[in-house]
Amino acid sequence: MSELRPVTILISALGGEGGGVMTDWILAACRAEGLTVQATSVPGVAQRTGATTYYIEILREKLAKGAPEPVMALYPQVGDIDLMVATELVEAGRACQSGFVSPDRTTLIASMHRFYLIDEKIGMGDTRLETARVEATVRQLSKRAILGDFAQAARDSGTVINAVLVGAIAGTGILPLRVEAFERAIREEGKSVEANLRGFHYGLKVARGEIVELRPAPRTAAPRPAATPAAALDALRDHVVRDFPAVAREIVNEGAARCFDYQDNAYATLYLDRLDKVWQAERAAGGDGSGTAETGRHLALWMTYEDVIRVAQIKTRPIRLQKVQRGSGAKGEQPVIVTEFLKPGIDEFASILPPPLGRRLVGWAERTGRLNSFNLGLHIRTSTVLGFALLRLMAALKPWRRHGYRFGVEQQGMERWLEAIRTAMGKDRLVAREIAECARLIKGYSDTHRRGTGNFRRIMETLVQPTLAASNVRPDYYANAAAAIATARKAALADPEGETLNRTLAQFASARA
Amino acid sequence: MERSFKQEVESLRLAEGETFHGEGILAVTKALLQSGVSYVGGYQGSPISHLIDVLVDAKPLLDELGIHLETPTSEAAAAAILGASINYPIRGAVAWKSTVGTNVASDALANLASAGVIGGAMMVVGEDYGEGASIIQERTHAFAMKSQMWLLDPRPNLTSIVDLVEKGFELSEASNTPVMLQLRIRTCHVYGRFAAKNNRQGAISRNNRLQKPDFDIIRLCQPPYTIAQERIKIEKRMPAALKFIAERKLNEQFPGDIGDIGVILQGGLYNTLMRVLHRVGLADTFGKSRIPLYVMNVTYPLVPEEINSFCAGKKAVLVCEEGQPEFIEQAIAAALRRADINTKLHGKDVFPMAGEYTSEVMLKGLAAFFDKVSLPAIDAARGSAASQAQAVTDHKAQAAESLGGQVPPRTPTFCTGCPERPVFSALTLVERELGKHHIAADIGCHSFSAYKPFNLGNTCLGYGMGLSSSTGIAPQFEKRVISIMGDGGFWHNGLTNGVASATFNNADGVLIVMKNGYTSATGWQFLPSSMQQRDGVKAQDQNIESAIRGVGVKWIKKVQNYKVANVARVLKEALTTAEKGLKVIIAEGECMLAKQRRVRAEDAKDIAAGKRVAKPKFGVDEQTCTGDHSCIRLSGCPSLTVKDNPDKLRQDPVATVVETCVGCGLCGEVSHAAILCPSFYKTEVVHNPGAIERVVNRLRQRIIAWMATPEAMPAAPLPSAATLAAAAE
Repeated sequence: MSELRPVTILISALGGEGGGVMTDWILAACRAEGLTVQATSVPGVAQRTGATTYYIEILREKLAKGAPEPVMALYPQVGDIDLMVATELVEAGRACQSGFVSPDRTTLIASMHRFYLIDEKIGMGDTRLETARVEATVRQLSKRAILGDFAQAARDSGTVINAVLVGAIAGTGILPLRVEAFERAIREEGKSVEANLRGFHYGLKVARGEIVELRPAPRTAAPRPAATPAAALDALRDHVVRDFPAVAREIVNEGAARCFDYQDNAYATLYLDRLDKVWQAERAAGGDGSGTAETGRHLALWMTYEDVIRVAQIKTRPIRLQKVQRGSGAKGEQPVIVTEFLKPGIDEFASILPPPLGRRLVGWAERTGRLNSFNLGLHIRTSTVLGFALLRLMAALKPWRRHGYRFGVEQQGMERWLEAIRTAMGKDRLVAREIAECARLIKGYSDTHRRGTGNFRRIMETLVQPTLAASNVRPDYYANAAAAIATARKAALADPEGETLNRTLAQFASARA
Repeated sequence: MERSFKQEVESLRLAEGETFHGEGILAVTKALLQSGVSYVGGYQGSPISHLIDVLVDAKPLLDELGIHLETPTSEAAAAAILGASINYPIRGAVAWKSTVGTNVASDALANLASAGVIGGAMMVVGEDYGEGASIIQERTHAFAMKSQMWLLDPRPNLTSIVDLVEKGFELSEASNTPVMLQLRIRTCHVYGRFAAKNNRQGAISRNNRLQKPDFDIIRLCQPPYTIAQERIKIEKRMPAALKFIAERKLNEQFPGDIGDIGVILQGGLYNTLMRVLHRVGLADTFGKSRIPLYVMNVTYPLVPEEINSFCAGKKAVLVCEEGQPEFIEQAIAAALRRADINTKLHGKDVFPMAGEYTSEVMLKGLAAFFDKVSLPAIDAARGSAASQAQAVTDHKAQAAESLGGQVPPRTPTFCTGCPERPVFSALTLVERELGKHHIAADIGCHSFSAYKPFNLGNTCLGYGMGLSSSTGIAPQFEKRVISIMGDGGFWHNGLTNGVASATFNNADGVLIVMKNGYTSATGWQFLPSSMQQRDGVKAQDQNIESAIRGVGVKWIKKVQNYKVANVARVLKEALTTAEKGLKVIIAEGECMLAKQRRVRAEDAKDIAAGKRVAKPKFGVDEQTCTGDHSCIRLSGCPSLTVKDNPDKLRQDPVATVVETCVGCGLCGEVSHAAILCPSFYKTEVVHNPGAIERVVNRLRQRIIAWMATPEAMPAAPLPSAATLAAAAE
């Protein structure tokens, strides 16, 4: 019996990534070289956006004319794949999970970029998979892993990811095809030839080890304008260095600058003063300042809450205008029409009214269930002078903010929260830390903001305050309390309807009873 | 159509002596032409959509050969086309997705099979079973058995497939019975080659028309002739078929030196089995097996004599039969029992009853079979199979452990810019206000609403059955029940079985008809209410609204899907109005994939011609996005995703719009309708702006730059640890 066996290639792609074209290139190259080849595919139920697999077998040896036809498999065989190609990192992980990657056999080419699953996108916080874990798995389970952000490489080359990946395939030398055969196939296909060849050569070099792996861009800070000499900010920084422990300085310094930008120097100083009290409490309790740092993070975000003035401020800055221009893909002098979707309502209006008026208006709207009844859907063309001026005017209301209704409401809320943290520092630092983290629930606008604030309040009232009021407690009381607060916080982020939080709080209540 | 086959059509013209290279389903199309069909038709659906598409693109060739192409609105109508072969010696073929299509077709098929055919009649059924299947998992085999139609399951290489198509027509004519050619997903899409033959023209065709009709009452399914027809099936057609199958060797026997055992398999599983045998050292790449094989290219009817002679003298045989119930294994057991042959029969005792026979299933099944027979000749193979199966299990366990559990599935979802998504965004908003409603869903892209983020839809009972499936439950509900139907489902049978029937029964529910202009889920084939017909012109005026009005519906509203607030308003009105009777909302929005293909070409042409074109795209201000992702929960658009938060203080990922955005407008509409947040903005890049526009733009930019809010000042840099240490000293 003949010992020949075909080379086996499994490609896992997502809709729109050109997996079919990639397969066609390989087929065309094989045909041109006179090799026997078979390919098949499974479109997957989501032919549009779901995962699709392509399976190819190539006979390494050329067959003589009239030789018997080989029997080629249509199913990829677990444990029998020479080359596994995945266009996305988690799909590479999925291939491992399905047994198509074996340490003694399989070379794996995978793009390290992420195309998030719906479960990773719809969470109310961060529900993304741990990428590092997937990467470790695919490296560990393959004979050789060729990884890189091939999606970025494709963008850089002005092409689609399939061209880069087919280059990497060619570069492994596993297929019985010369590099020229691939190039010819790309040329003969005749679409975007130059860009595809650029991408192809990039992939080729990566597989040959001539280019170091291109990793997805790490989490970067927003591009910053050239530093403006600002004595005020230097002073704030000096204040931070003088009064805060090293572990908290970066966040606190950033927070102070944020408050300065949001309002003024007095507001930034208020931020530092508030935090200083937290640090004093933490230090007295023997803490290193990490609790202060976390409090500082959330305090800065809370103090710079997103009201219409803040939104207008952000949207009318040169750096934002540049970003919009860049993101639109406009080239040269192409005009870009920009439309903003704003829908201010009673909340937004009341927030800048004098407190007595604002309080009355919101009270009336809440009583009559009309909080969302008067929202005004605006499509503001901020690429026009008038549209832009409207936003700019709103941003100019900054000094008035202190006199508006919402300012007082927010400050009160913060003070209560800070007091709880300080009190907790004296009892148990872990509890204090968990209380600080709860501020993460307050975010968004309109209903989202009301829901988050409501959840925050419920946790404060039902869990935090009883904990702080307790005396003569058992030794594990605070550890349990901290865990309960953390659980409730996660529950609040589990579903927008608040069902999980209701269930969780009810469980705690019945456990106490 | 999603894909153009203009190029591939050329390969349908190949002649004797040339080699055809291409996809399985195209090879079948070529085989039909080589068999001299006079009519073809079918209803699209994966995995045979391409067969219909390629025929549409092959119109000139079909015209030359006098072949009529019919693309009806359902498989029932497609099956009835085969009625042409009952009275006349005309060959024809139809195609659909099975078993769902066969279900719809079975009324006509039962009659066809009872009446019998003179001309060869073939159904090409694309078996949507196993990985990637979009339908309920059942067997076509049962239909073949109940109506006595012959079922062909060729070895999955193009030569065998084409050969069996040609012989299938002969079998059909020799036994006066329609035949079904069953092709699995991977077989439909397999790329391979075969030696072409010349195309043949049918003796009767559009080029040589019939002059007078045939009348023979025995060919009508009328009492008492139906009783006679059943007898004819058993007494004449079945024996004729068995004789033909045996004489023409449609099933294949491959010898092997380990004669104590054997494998009986469906033709379609041959390649998978051979590869696994190869892996355990019992076969080579060229089809040489050490174990004798009996390959059933005809899986119904079974030829008992062939089975008996294959099994006689063997200790044990293994039946490789995918799906359940195990009809073939049962039939083999009966045949062996009747012939008093005591060969041990294995099959579903070593293979799983349910599910596809993947390579892994085949490997593990074979390993279990080897364990049961314990034959010295296969000791080495047994060890190899067991250790390979174990290795696979180990790798998978290792991967699962390393990944920390199973990776969640990538569930189906609406495409970027899909016009059906906004309707479900609106429905979600309405339900927030009015509470949850029972939703009778339907087949089509819109059924993706069942998945996250919408999770909308309570039942799904078949194509065009959305409204029908609401009629029992609707009266039991306090709130009105919502039914959904696509335009494909509407014309498939939703108009009659749904709208006409429910109106006739005084229904009081709400029906949403998604009008996207195509049967989109199957690859954008045209339907009666499309903007054009399959040959590019629009000859008939067939529209949904007048059809609905025609069957008595009074409350009809049309909405433009992307106007989410308005869709929500109309939905709410339909759900709460005092008016009785069926409320129909026609939700309009062209399939975005189809539209983009058209618009992109038009835009490119206009841009090249120097015309002004504005290209829209959406964006998110990452500084105002607080990372709550409400917008994604109301959309799920593939182009709306998340990324690391660039802010040093924030932790949750921010929403972001990636470059695949087509600017459908949903993001803006949803953030308005749901009062979400001010982060979304739309950009329109103007290509070829006029001179005035350019000047105005420059002026605007200058004024805006002058007005802009001053940049935020960055925090002062912190001193390095070294500086601090030095200062401390």
